[in-house]
Amino acid sequence: MTTNSMVSEQTLPGTWRNKAPMLLAVGFICVLLSLGLCYFVGGDANRAIGFSVFFRSYLANFMFCLTICLGALFFVMIQHVARAGWSATVRRLAELLANMIPWWLVLFVPILAMVWFTDSPALYPWNAGSGNVSPLVEEKLRYLNPFWFTIRVLAYFTVWVVCAKWFLAQSRRQDETGDATITLRMQKWAGPGIIFSALAVNFGAFDIMMSTDPEWFSTIYGVYVFAAGMLGFFATMIVLVSLLKRSDRLQREVNTEHVHDLAKFQFGFIVFWAYIAFSQLLLYWYGNIPEETAWYHDRWGNGWQYVGLLLIVGHFALPFLATMSRASRRNQVWLAGWSGFILLMHWVDMMFLLLPTEDIHFSALLLIGHLVGWLGMVLLFSGLFMYRTGETPLVALNDPWTPAALSYEVGP
Amino acid sequence: MSEHQPKPQKVRPPRSFGWTAEYDDEHQLLEAARRVREAGYTKIDAFTPFPVHGIDTALGIRRTKLPWFSLIAGMTGTTVALLLQIWTNAIDYPYIISGKPYISLPAFIPVTFELTVLFAAFMTVFAMLGLNGLPKFSNPVFTNPKFDRASDDRFFLWVDSRDQYFNADKVRELLEATGALAVEEVREDDSPTQVPKAIYAAIAALILITLIPGAIVLNMRNSKSPYPRWHVFFDMDFQPIRKAQQPTTIFADGRVQRPPVPGTVARGELGPSDPFVLGYDPDAVAANLPAQGPSSRLVSYQQDGDEQPPAPVEPGAREQPPAPEEPPAPTPAAPDQPASSEPEAPPQQPAAATASQERPVSAEESSDGAAEQTSATAVAATDDDAVGDEEAPGAVATGDAGGEPNYAWLQTFPLEVTAELIQQGRREFEQNCAVCHGLAGYGDGLVARRAAELAQGYWLPPTSLHEQRIVEQPVGRLYYTITHGKGKMAPYADALTPTERWAIVAYIRVLQRSQNARSEDVPPGVDVAASANSDNVR
Repeated sequence: MTTNSMVSEQTLPGTWRNKAPMLLAVGFICVLLSLGLCYFVGGDANRAIGFSVFFRSYLANFMFCLTICLGALFFVMIQHVARAGWSATVRRLAELLANMIPWWLVLFVPILAMVWFTDSPALYPWNAGSGNVSPLVEEKLRYLNPFWFTIRVLAYFTVWVVCAKWFLAQSRRQDETGDATITLRMQKWAGPGIIFSALAVNFGAFDIMMSTDPEWFSTIYGVYVFAAGMLGFFATMIVLVSLLKRSDRLQREVNTEHVHDLAKFQFGFIVFWAYIAFSQLLLYWYGNIPEETAWYHDRWGNGWQYVGLLLIVGHFALPFLATMSRASRRNQVWLAGWSGFILLMHWVDMMFLLLPTEDIHFSALLLIGHLVGWLGMVLLFSGLFMYRTGETPLVALNDPWTPAALSYEVGP
Repeated sequence: MSEHQPKPQKVRPPRSFGWTAEYDDEHQLLEAARRVREAGYTKIDAFTPFPVHGIDTALGIRRTKLPWFSLIAGMTGTTVALLLQIWTNAIDYPYIISGKPYISLPAFIPVTFELTVLFAAFMTVFAMLGLNGLPKFSNPVFTNPKFDRASDDRFFLWVDSRDQYFNADKVRELLEATGALAVEEVREDDSPTQVPKAIYAAIAALILITLIPGAIVLNMRNSKSPYPRWHVFFDMDFQPIRKAQQPTTIFADGRVQRPPVPGTVARGELGPSDPFVLGYDPDAVAANLPAQGPSSRLVSYQQDGDEQPPAPVEPGAREQPPAPEEPPAPTPAAPDQPASSEPEAPPQQPAAATASQERPVSAEESSDGAAEQTSATAVAATDDDAVGDEEAPGAVATGDAGGEPNYAWLQTFPLEVTAELIQQGRREFEQNCAVCHGLAGYGDGLVARRAAELAQGYWLPPTSLHEQRIVEQPVGRLYYTITHGKGKMAPYADALTPTERWAIVAYIRVLQRSQNARSEDVPPGVDVAASANSDNVR
């Protein structure tokens, strides 16, 4: 590295990285344990349900992590497209989170395998194939079939992976060379990157998540997933920064002003998520057309209604009020606590999106199985993050915006 | 203001407001602010061309209370919006919209959201103005021309003379010691405080001028004028249209009124000759009509293709079919018009009263007017009858004002009366008629009972279908009443097909018979006592 850097080179704490193998092992075991637990959800009477519950639970936990990484990708590109100076010292963390996306493609392989090698409708009812689906879905099979589904998923991941790796690689090269034109190049490509990634997120949400209920449709669904992911990302960032600062990292580089700004973003996306969620609900509630309300019908009974109400309170009302004031956003402990709570709610949100069906009812066993699966996925996420980040500095070293970021002040 | 000479009577020296120090850059300003504050001064302020980081802590400015105003106003907005919607939609005027509950929260959210934002935004703006003491038209610091550079490239520090430790000399010393470019006292503006009279005059003139349009409008609205109205907005006031009898240049024949397009079937023209539809035999009625003279009608139709000079049409010059829906206009040329004093009476001969109404109409009229009613109601009833009779097409009236139409009523049903038809009639009767006439036809339907309960005076009770005069009415007459209505009763021609109307007539006959049953009606082999027991429910 060059010596004119204004920030010191810091990497993930060694104690963290030493735990990576254990995290991965425990995570893997937890996912298997979740499979075992979910298998018994339906009881002896309905073994098929257990399989369905597990895959839906796996996908929900998978999306919990993937949406966070996609939020990180958007954050990176938004900073470039807006020529933001304040974020130069936190952007690298987002780049590292976005750099996790290739691993999510790997973790999606079990689902792709299920789609390719079985015709099980456990996760995607359209996978049963022609003749075994309702007439409505029959018409959609030209789009929702294993071949095209795989092609599209690979296309989405290609867009995300290319964007994530390119922005990290450019930023890393700037660490070495200190070439300011790299920043200009990143600013130039952030715009197209946002457009393509946004389209991929939108249609990816349709394919990967919404097609678990292929009869139902919502054009705002992709935006909903985007909003949820952005919120999850900001909560993750705040928690991550808080943990790193406790491990004596980023002490000077990331100060209260930066966290305050992350908290403002987080607050904005709390409202945005609620806005989008309500927009979808209002139109379907008012129109009251069976094919549109069927999705809500599955979620307004069998115990799921309490999950839905919990989302209104926990995903919107409580964090909205709790992180509204300036003082609350500048109190690291308070803020990190609420960000952790938001992450929990993000998990509940993914569960609410993916688990309820006509047959899958809310139950304690399901919750435990899903929770264990979540634990496993988060541990896998953490372990893979340690491996993948390795010795990469946690702050961009020669970013021309660094002085602006270090002297950044939110104002009164 | 520099040319202004102080007035001689002013003896008081100009008041000092405080001191300003001018700096080249914000670092000097920040340092100076810190030193002044350390010296104990609290009423200090800074003026800079751009926001300076750290100036708030340097000046010791406390956090603004503004967010609390916004929060409280926002919560007020939420509450007001919810209460407003609940009150208007669920309490004051409960109104079902889209089949949703009165209080349906999802529908209320958008308005609640908007009002929350609106209240919070307004409160934020006005509280900001209030907390800043705005609007303020002048500030003493503006008396120093150098101060203009505070919005350009200079930084000013301000120490207010109202500070509790204020001492002019010490403040000046302190400020000079901070390396200020200039330290100056801000004195009271010596320009006159009087507002020039010309401004008052101009304001008064403006007010007067703005009153003129209103005065003109008021004047024009309250006075008559031989001139047409001013057309500020033309809207559709000027169009090449004419009133009915005016000439026009648009059509070759110069007439505004256009004849009907060939093949036009006017409302009511279709199928009037069928006794099944009418309830009476039009041929029999026509046979009783006197020969109509050519002058008996004022208005004539122009047949298509009938070449016609644009000259005014001579009244009654051409043949035309009777207009069934409209009362024939009074004919001045009819010398034998018996009811010329009653312009709405159709031009008929009294001798035409040949059909089935045996009783004198006047008697029927009085019975129709229900003797037990108040006189006012009776009058209303008579009027209503008269109005109802106007609708009678080509009525063979008896000549009495407001009399019953007297047609060649059908005495028998024009369709086969089956048990099925009677059942259908019962259905239709209970759906359409029973609300007023009652299920058994005694005129005691729910509406009638409710109206009697309210006793508001102007209610005309529905006729009992078991009155002798109704029982005696031929079926065609009943059918006609259903078709055209009677008194307050609305016509049912639009709601019921002719078959349905006949079915109701059949059922009315059944009802009437059921209330006047004789022992011969009981079929042989029926145990009257047993069925009486079971029928005792009524």
